[in-house]
Amino acid sequence: MATTQATTGTAGGVQPAVPGTPQGSGGVEREFTVKARSQRQQIVRRFLHNKVGMTGLVIFVALLVFGFIGPLLDGKSYSDLDSSAQSVSPGNQGYLLGSDAIGRDLLAGLMSGVQRSLFIVALFIAIALPLGLLVGALAGYFGKWVDSVLMRLVDLILTVPLLVVLIVVASNFPGSRTPLGVGIILGLFGWLDLARIVRSQFLSLREKEYVEAAHSLGASNSRIIFKHLIPNALGSLIVWTTLAAANAIILEASLTYLGFGVNGTNETSLGRLVSDGVQAASTRPWLFYFPGIVLLVIVLSINLIGDGIRDAFDPSNRRVRA
Amino acid sequence: MFFFTIRRVLASVLVLVVSSFLVFALCAASFDPLAQYYSRNPRPPQEFFDQLRERFGLNDPFLVRYWNWLTGVLHGDFGVTVDGTPVADQLPGRLMVTGRMILAAIVIAVLLAVIVGVIGAVRQYKPSDYTFTFIAYILIALPTFWFAALLKEFVAGGINDLLGSQVLYTIGEETPGLSLYAGGWELWSDRLGHLVLPTVSLALLSFAAWSRFQRASMLDVLGSDYMRLARAKGLTYRRTVLKHGLRNALIPLTTVVALGIGTLFGGAVITETVFVWHGMGEYLLENGIGQQDVNVVLGWLLVSAVFVVLFNLVADILYAVLDPRIRLS
Repeated sequence: MATTQATTGTAGGVQPAVPGTPQGSGGVEREFTVKARSQRQQIVRRFLHNKVGMTGLVIFVALLVFGFIGPLLDGKSYSDLDSSAQSVSPGNQGYLLGSDAIGRDLLAGLMSGVQRSLFIVALFIAIALPLGLLVGALAGYFGKWVDSVLMRLVDLILTVPLLVVLIVVASNFPGSRTPLGVGIILGLFGWLDLARIVRSQFLSLREKEYVEAAHSLGASNSRIIFKHLIPNALGSLIVWTTLAAANAIILEASLTYLGFGVNGTNETSLGRLVSDGVQAASTRPWLFYFPGIVLLVIVLSINLIGDGIRDAFDPSNRRVRA
Repeated sequence: MFFFTIRRVLASVLVLVVSSFLVFALCAASFDPLAQYYSRNPRPPQEFFDQLRERFGLNDPFLVRYWNWLTGVLHGDFGVTVDGTPVADQLPGRLMVTGRMILAAIVIAVLLAVIVGVIGAVRQYKPSDYTFTFIAYILIALPTFWFAALLKEFVAGGINDLLGSQVLYTIGEETPGLSLYAGGWELWSDRLGHLVLPTVSLALLSFAAWSRFQRASMLDVLGSDYMRLARAKGLTYRRTVLKHGLRNALIPLTTVVALGIGTLFGGAVITETVFVWHGMGEYLLENGIGQQDVNVVLGWLLVSAVFVVLFNLVADILYAVLDPRIRLS
């Protein structure tokens, strides 16, 4: 394959810089050199040159620093109640972002909220990703009745809006008002669109020649799925993961607002802080503005990263030379 | 087309039955509809509970209970709530309230999304495109209830002050009791004033994602050969974009909008809570989940699912109308 391409290239007269062509293969003198880069290197390079994605990444890292290193510098804890500092407005009595009605430091709350929300998201991804991948892969790879059964199951759950499924389940599960419970419930029902995406990817990928070749060389089904299909569907998997992570943060906030999410004094989350802040919107606006802004920024940064990755994985994207 | 529609409706009915069965199982296994009476003071005697259990069939086997509910629904009977009011009596009125909000939201969101998407695509990488992109990103990242509270607390007051009278209302779907003595224009303008904020907050949610989608599909169309052909034949740019481009770029949006109905129904639950509307969402949360009442939850589910199914069907038919290459049968 590689040789035919090289010959047609030389036959055309001018040697174009074909990405991925082995360097110095025919010993032809060239004015410029072509550096071979693996596909992964190309994708990483494209992402690093993507302004949108990099902006998101920088903001996200800044939020990580805020959430995980900030508490070490701040010295206050969200679980400290200070009855002499009720509803302090920002900048007073040493409360940089103010305090709430029972004298908890909002800044410390935001830091621990970022931590807890990221824990919920990580748990959600850890459950939803394998589930969606498995269901989508089985449906797409085996087709026929396996596909019909699994996809009807997905349709079934999709008849009810996700938020309402989550409400019904969360209202029934004991222990669902903790970050652990919310993360698990989100994970158990958040894989439906992923299953559809993976299925459609597999449906087209399994018809490719290299899959047929692997089959005829005696590769097992699981080998084909893990060695050939999943790596090729990786782009859409990563993009789904980022977008779903952003969505999970908003869902957590919505669930909590409706009274089915994270509850408790020490175990706060961004959703908890935002929904508490909404109640105080007109009287203590700092409790309303700051949590909302942090939530907005964290979701925004994850979405930007997702868009950057989508562009980086798109082979037709030639705006950045990789 | 006719047989396609029939087949789709039958398949959807089947999905509805099975999903209602699953929700019924989930609720019946964990709800205790009599819970609200335990904490009454004085606590009702045991006979009261025994009678209620018998009356609502709570002692029956689970499958019998589901079967009774299902055959009831076929006769238009959605069961009664724990306090004895029929669910079917509540649904139409509440659906009118929520439906107003959702329909208005869809219309606004689609119109805005098409306009903004087309402008973004035609002026790709120009300042207006970047501005719209930025706004869309922000809207996608906002939680509804935070944005709604922002509108309610800070925007509504400002606009009312500016206009010098209370034009926008932040609570309820109409001024209580107004329909008893007022009518005609006064009633409608009052309802409109109540409708604006909830609809705007609900519409902006979907609008952002839809406008990105419309921009992408418009970009695809703008790069296609038939657009160049139309230009080469001497049509003006405006005419090619609007007559040839827009028509084709609208096709993918119909599916996205139809699939978004479910999300809008979910979102309406939040919007209703923020703006204290007495619609389907309130019914689900307060009477359904709050009172642990299976019949209310199932009533909500059926209404919302029927809309999801209906809109999917409409999308399929619209698809065929807009794109003559698609033949449904």
